[in-house]
Amino acid sequence: MGDPAGLARRAQEIVGAEHVRTGPAAAPFAVDGLTPGVVAAPGSEEEVSRLLAAAHGLEAAVAPWGGGTKTGLGNPPRRLDLVLSLARLNRVVDYEPGDMTATLQAGMTLAAAQAHLTQKGQFIALDPAAAARATVGGILAANASGPRRLRYGTARDLVIAVRIVHADGAVTKGGAKVVKNVTGYDMNKLYVGSLGTLGILTEVTFRLYPLPATEETHLSAFPTLEAAGAAAAEILGSPLVPHAVELLSAAAAAAAARAANVPWSPGQVGLAVMIGSVPDAVHAQLADVARFCRGAGSAADHHLRGAAHSACWEAVREFPGPDAPRSLILKGSVPLTRVPELMSRGEGLAGQRHLACQAVAEVGPGIVRFSVDAGGVPPERAADYVETVRGVAAELGGHLVVLEAPLDVKRRVDVWGPVGKALRLMQGLKAQFDPKGILNPGRFVGGI
Amino acid sequence: MERQRKAQLAAALMAVVGQDGVITDEDELRVYECDGLTIFKARPELVVLPRTREQVEAVARLCHRERVPFVARGAGTGLSGGALALEGGVMVGLNRMSHILEVDVPNQRAVVQPGMVNVWLSNKIAGDNFYYAPDPASQTACSIGGNIAENSGGVHTPKYGVTVNHVVGLEVVLPDGEVVEFGGKALDPPGYDLTGVFVGSEGTFGICTKITVRILRKPEAVKTLMGVFESIEDASNTVSDIVAAGILPACVEMMDTLSIQAVEKGVRAGYPTDAGSVLLVELDGPRAEVEALVDPVSRLMKQNKVREIRIAKDDAERLLLWKGRKAAFAAMGQISPDYYVQDAVIPRTKLPQILREIGAFSDEYKLRVANVFHAGDGNLHPLILYDGRNEGELHKAEEMGAKIMRRCIELGGSITGEHGVGREKRDYMPLMYTPADLEAMLKVKRVFNPDGLLNPGKIFPTTKGCVEAGAVGRDGLRYRPHRLEVMGLAQRF
Ligand SMILES: Cc1cc2nc3c(=O)[nH]c(=O)nc-3n(C[C@H](O)[C@H](O)[C@H](O)COP(=O)(O)OP(=O)(O)OC[C@H]3O[C@@H](n4cnc5c(N)ncnc54)[C@H](O)[C@@H]3O)c2cc1C
Repeated sequence: MGDPAGLARRAQEIVGAEHVRTGPAAAPFAVDGLTPGVVAAPGSEEEVSRLLAAAHGLEAAVAPWGGGTKTGLGNPPRRLDLVLSLARLNRVVDYEPGDMTATLQAGMTLAAAQAHLTQKGQFIALDPAAAARATVGGILAANASGPRRLRYGTARDLVIAVRIVHADGAVTKGGAKVVKNVTGYDMNKLYVGSLGTLGILTEVTFRLYPLPATEETHLSAFPTLEAAGAAAAEILGSPLVPHAVELLSAAAAAAAARAANVPWSPGQVGLAVMIGSVPDAVHAQLADVARFCRGAGSAADHHLRGAAHSACWEAVREFPGPDAPRSLILKGSVPLTRVPELMSRGEGLAGQRHLACQAVAEVGPGIVRFSVDAGGVPPERAADYVETVRGVAAELGGHLVVLEAPLDVKRRVDVWGPVGKALRLMQGLKAQFDPKGILNPGRFVGGI
Repeated sequence: MERQRKAQLAAALMAVVGQDGVITDEDELRVYECDGLTIFKARPELVVLPRTREQVEAVARLCHRERVPFVARGAGTGLSGGALALEGGVMVGLNRMSHILEVDVPNQRAVVQPGMVNVWLSNKIAGDNFYYAPDPASQTACSIGGNIAENSGGVHTPKYGVTVNHVVGLEVVLPDGEVVEFGGKALDPPGYDLTGVFVGSEGTFGICTKITVRILRKPEAVKTLMGVFESIEDASNTVSDIVAAGILPACVEMMDTLSIQAVEKGVRAGYPTDAGSVLLVELDGPRAEVEALVDPVSRLMKQNKVREIRIAKDDAERLLLWKGRKAAFAAMGQISPDYYVQDAVIPRTKLPQILREIGAFSDEYKLRVANVFHAGDGNLHPLILYDGRNEGELHKAEEMGAKIMRRCIELGGSITGEHGVGREKRDYMPLMYTPADLEAMLKVKRVFNPDGLLNPGKIFPTTKGCVEAGAVGRDGLRYRPHRLEVMGLAQRF
């Protein structure tokens, strides 16, 4: 794009000068070291549409921006001219508790949305990190989720309708505000996880769930990941209905225990099991969970409720926590029985490379998150670590993506890894929806 | 297709699948001229019955090279004219690819072929106390490939969702014969969610040849309650109160007086024929939870003036309570020569309103309507009763049906909750979607099926703009009992 001043002018005309930043004021919106010439915050869907149409005309590269919590996700962008902030689109559009559906503007934070819905005893059943800043649109685009996905699934299971602005400014909807609908293709599925490369979400409708009457947690300490994994497998194969089953490496377990204010012997790994239901059913199930854990050789067992329960899960959700060096975060996915092996081999490979590593895993869905302190480590070594663990995940029947990494590591690895022959279709979709390649160019799989 | 070309094509297909895998005989082809919605007919010129993925590939490549339209068919139980060879050509029957390839209980996954009949999987893993959750009423016959294509639902959708929530991986032969894989046993594969996009694409994106699904541990306890109400309003209010109390039943099903009367003439499930409504609520989960919720649900029924509550004590009683509900569609024959069923969806709170409006339409058109529906997710199945022998009645039924659909959309709903658009509802699409919305869908279709050779004529309106209410084909939308219903193997929900 050759005309940054022209873009800024058009943006000011469309959204008003007070909602446009340029020059040094745009610096906080850099993505992987690329600073946009213009940051604009439209106040309506119509403004989003006009702004995008203008950018399209100028062939300006656009990055949609929600709460900025996931700007680390993706390969480094090829270009960046305009950051389009959804921060002003932060209202509840429509909430009908009796239908258990809510329509929210995409820039609303998850925490704000939940605060609204909780009044009626309902919630959006997604619990990704940084709810206070993460927006619902951003959560969808990044397909972010948390420990409770075991019970409730992910965005693809919970989003029933969207409104989206396409690269050329056209506005369309996908789905309908009803929980069951097969009229035409399910466009919601296409947009969830597309990282803003196909269009910019302006409105999202969720199917909601009732808040469970109570949620409590059983936290066990185990000498090994294998033993904790065996307990997890028993629980997941039983008729119990846990809301989350999380395996915690020693460091992560110690942090969760500290948050929950229970004693923890160094070196012990953890298994946290969340149960939600009416109180009687919670207690009956927790008793079964405790029995499974003791049977698998737990060294210590804790029953967490109230603030301790919440603090434990906050530590898990916000892993590796605000104090931890956040330099390299990986997410591996494998069939659930392979979780302990991926975790222990990932940690072992880090040890061999003198990298400090901790991990947490949602055992049911088979998701392992590693946090590696790559500070002061040559980027080649960190990149080699990523590729090696990726190889292990593939060997175990899964895959691995990099959620966050320093730029010099990202330049050496593809954060997404291979997607196989389906790439042809993905590139085809990108070409159909964004032929000029202005939306987040370069950040997604295969250079999309 | 001219004779010589057809013979050449048949020979080429036989070279792929063998002599016994190609059907050319006109009489035998008649079986393949419609699906469960028998009013639309289109006979394929040839049917091919592959046994392997490689054979499907070769068939697709051949059709692609020869520019012959082709369409996949599972069990042919679809209710929207989806598996119809509207432009002739080749039908690819997948019944011979019906194996369960792998059951992986510890990882809670199964890998199956598309022609596998839905219920076989649950039967196979019942001994491990696992099951496959999506349970369309046609589950003893419909194929899982058809379920993928239609994103089929079942009675357990309020709690367990529909097909797409249970599919984690697909192997697909694209219309040009290329094979691609989406997802697999592990979740969150990088890239666009092509598995999610493929499910519900009604056979227009490719032919799926292998499917990886989640399997679930059976619930520890199941409890079914039936409430008999004086009015449909009271039953609806009970559903709202259950929701407001934060209770999420596995199933919530409702019937009105006319349906109850039809059922009692048919199967005699023991429903009181003077009742305004019957409400079935099923709770499942850990025993302590189910037991703790029975009382609150009963109490909410009582608050809404329930006349009688029956709670099944065992499986036999449970089946009896369900018997009437399951027989509802088939029982319509007891009270009307013909009926026309719809599949529209509304936001649940609009239930009393739409029922009043349907009642008003019924008075206006002087046609009776029996209402049977998935109250838990607002999926209506109004059955418009008519007599096709009376001049103009079918036309009136259609017109009224179109008005109901339009009202459902105006109330924020959808024209189909589980049966799909297919041939039947393609011209109603613009009621719900703008040209831009449809164009976005067409973009996706162009990527998967650029030549439109696979399953042409489905989903998208034929002539843009020509969607006046009642503008369905003159052949109309007339109900005929499906072979399965007649045989008592399945009922429509
Ligand atoms: C009595 C009765 C009760 C029913 N109850 C329900 C119900 O409760 N819930 C519900 O949702 N539906 C219900 N249905 C509708 C129907 O059973 C479902 O739509 C079912 O999924 C169709 O499966 P099938 O194998 O018969 O598919 P078909 O009718 O053979 O085909 C349907 C569509 O799938 C495509 N297709 C088939 N196989 C493949 C493949 N391998 N790859 C790609 N595309 C493919 C076809 O091209 C076609 O477009 C009912 C039908 C009947 C007759």
